[in-house]
Amino acid sequence: MTRSLAGLTLAILGLVFASSAWADSALPAASPAPAPAAAAAVIDNETCLGCHAAPGQTKTLPSGEPIYISIDPEVFTASIHGREGLQCIGCHAGHDTFPHPAVTAQTRREYNLDRYTVCADCHADKYEASLDSVHQKALAGGNQEAAICTDCHGPHSNVDLDAEPRVAIPQTCEKCHSAIYQAYRESVHGSALTEENPDVPTCIDCHGVHDVHGPSNSPFHLFSPTICLECHADPELMAKYGLSTEIRETYVADFHGTTVLLFEKLAPDQETNKPVCIDCHGVHDILAPNDPNSRVMQENLLNTCQRCHPDATVNFPAAWLGHYAPDPIHTPLVYYVGLFYQILIPVVIGGMAFFVATDLVRTILNRRREARHG
Amino acid sequence: MAETTRRYIRFALPDRVEHILLLASFTTLAVTGLVQKFAEAGISQSIIAVLGGIEGTRTIHHIAAVILLLESIYHLGAVAYKVLVRRSRLDMLPGLGDIRKGWQALLYNLGLRADRPQEGRYNFAEKAEYWAVVWGTVVMAITGFMMWNPISTTRFLPGQVVPAAKAAHGFEAILAVLAILVWHLYHVHLKHFNRSMFTGKMTEKEMIEEHPLELADIKAGVAVRPVDLLVLKRRRRVFFPIYAIVAVVLLVGVYAFVSYEQTAITTLPEPIDVPVFVPLTPTPLPTRPPTATPAPQPTAAPTSTGGPPAAPTAGTALTWDADIGPLLASQCGACHGSFGGLDLSTYAGALAGGVSGPAVVAGDPGASILVLRQQEGGHPGQLSPEDLALVVEWIEAGAPEN
Repeated sequence: MTRSLAGLTLAILGLVFASSAWADSALPAASPAPAPAAAAAVIDNETCLGCHAAPGQTKTLPSGEPIYISIDPEVFTASIHGREGLQCIGCHAGHDTFPHPAVTAQTRREYNLDRYTVCADCHADKYEASLDSVHQKALAGGNQEAAICTDCHGPHSNVDLDAEPRVAIPQTCEKCHSAIYQAYRESVHGSALTEENPDVPTCIDCHGVHDVHGPSNSPFHLFSPTICLECHADPELMAKYGLSTEIRETYVADFHGTTVLLFEKLAPDQETNKPVCIDCHGVHDILAPNDPNSRVMQENLLNTCQRCHPDATVNFPAAWLGHYAPDPIHTPLVYYVGLFYQILIPVVIGGMAFFVATDLVRTILNRRREARHG
Repeated sequence: MAETTRRYIRFALPDRVEHILLLASFTTLAVTGLVQKFAEAGISQSIIAVLGGIEGTRTIHHIAAVILLLESIYHLGAVAYKVLVRRSRLDMLPGLGDIRKGWQALLYNLGLRADRPQEGRYNFAEKAEYWAVVWGTVVMAITGFMMWNPISTTRFLPGQVVPAAKAAHGFEAILAVLAILVWHLYHVHLKHFNRSMFTGKMTEKEMIEEHPLELADIKAGVAVRPVDLLVLKRRRRVFFPIYAIVAVVLLVGVYAFVSYEQTAITTLPEPIDVPVFVPLTPTPLPTRPPTATPAPQPTAAPTSTGGPPAAPTAGTALTWDADIGPLLASQCGACHGSFGGLDLSTYAGALAGGVSGPAVVAGDPGASILVLRQQEGGHPGQLSPEDLALVVEWIEAGAPEN
């Protein structure tokens, strides 16, 4: 699934073409005779391309924005929709008559927003999923720039996603999230993303595809460790990079991780300010922990701690054992306290249990003897 | 028989109230603490859910800890009063004798000794438990302070102390709970149910069995040291003010314990990631290829002065080549060119028309579909009335090509 969506790159073109089936265009289909029923039967793609194939045609919307109404027959024919034999009027319903229905949209964005729901006719599952996305929430909140189907998938130019390079995924998101993209490209993940390296995550591995999640809603933040663990708890994958897979155990054993675990289990919709992976390691700009600029690098750790613990001083960061189980060399105090109790508890409790056992036997024997001798 | 049913006062009411407080705070601390230590266990999560989630569980743990601290401060005063004011015997003080008695009791249990050791007011098992509680409370208070105030702790101590305190706190809890379950449960509940901590009294039979030396002292009248009332009053006058000061200091300590530092912010930290919506400069729309853009109106028409397109000089006959062809190429050519149903780029194409019929019928504007369509209005490529008038004039004039 992840890889199958790799083909978003052509969406750049698609954004342009999305609006290309311009209604009320200057292009009369050559059927002025008012015979809509008969016309509908013969409105095939060739009819539409009869006018719309001419390159460089634009119309001006009331907002003054130009809208491109040309279709490159070669691009369309090569697209998935073209190869599948989709008909123009399948999506552009009502355009089988001329003049085409009047357009009420004032701007190009409005035009696209009016039309993209037609994708649901064939891609109902994807469309339904997208209704839960941050993009749809932003859209519902009045942000017209929020991405819709056609912003990522060019309807006249979409190609086989499986055949598309994986590097194209972040490039698609870059169109709107360029600052995040820049941070990502320099991160340990983004800088390693090449076609030869399928190991590192792209945007959609963490954020999902159609039901794109954002970091601002609590469940995403709370459950984000699960996303990291998908790779970082995989011994085979981590062995390639010499990374520890014990990050979950060490995190959950700590105060922060315990809290987050319990919130996940018991209050998944509630906000907690206890840090998850990304709060210390960074999100899109995440770096290897031995990178001098890493937020979890020893020299930078105090700064990172102070984001939540503003009064923390220089000794404080060492209270976090850094995803390592206590050992006698790095954390002797913690290690030997544990060892002390691991010896003390069996000795004390064992001694008590032994005495109690002998006392119990003696008490029972005594009571029997008393009973006998009445 | 009457002798053995006689009951002796063992614990006064304040002692029993202390025990209730200890019992309640210890149990609460044990439950709310262990579920945090073993947070991954299903049973822990069920308990935490009942207690109002992890935040609620921690709050309850903290309240119980404060109750235990307050009870400890009271206990300190009560013991000090008994020792310093009443000058009672230090019955609870452990000694080598207790180790010996423990050993003797073991030998007796194993059948290697004829009788069990004779115990006084507090037997070795009780002393062991009492001092275990003292030890445990001190360890838990110190390590608990460190966990509650990690920033203050690491101002003076290495950071590693905090996880070490956490480890000790958790292990000590296990030790305490197991000791209660093994030692306390057996000695005062299973072996025989010792109600004296709740009723305050013990039967003579129980006394003979567990505290024969104390019973002997009671019978001899030496168990309680007599104190002169005046002496007692004088001692109290000294003791209470001093204890009041100590208690206030300790209470301030408890307050500090609870409120010493604000460990973490209570809000979400400021996000430090980059802004979310930073769109790239949109790709400009493809411009109309030059071929599809009609060249500036040809000024080839000899009568044209290069003014507005197709502005014919009055008196000059309109022709396709000079006037109408360029006009239609400019206004209609984008669609009605070499593609599509109607080709208006050539004279022949205009006469031939599209599927509806000829666009231009020479001499008859009323039969020319081009004119009809334009007169209807609303055509995407709508000619201006002046341009349309020129076309009509040209058709009426027989639509000459040149």
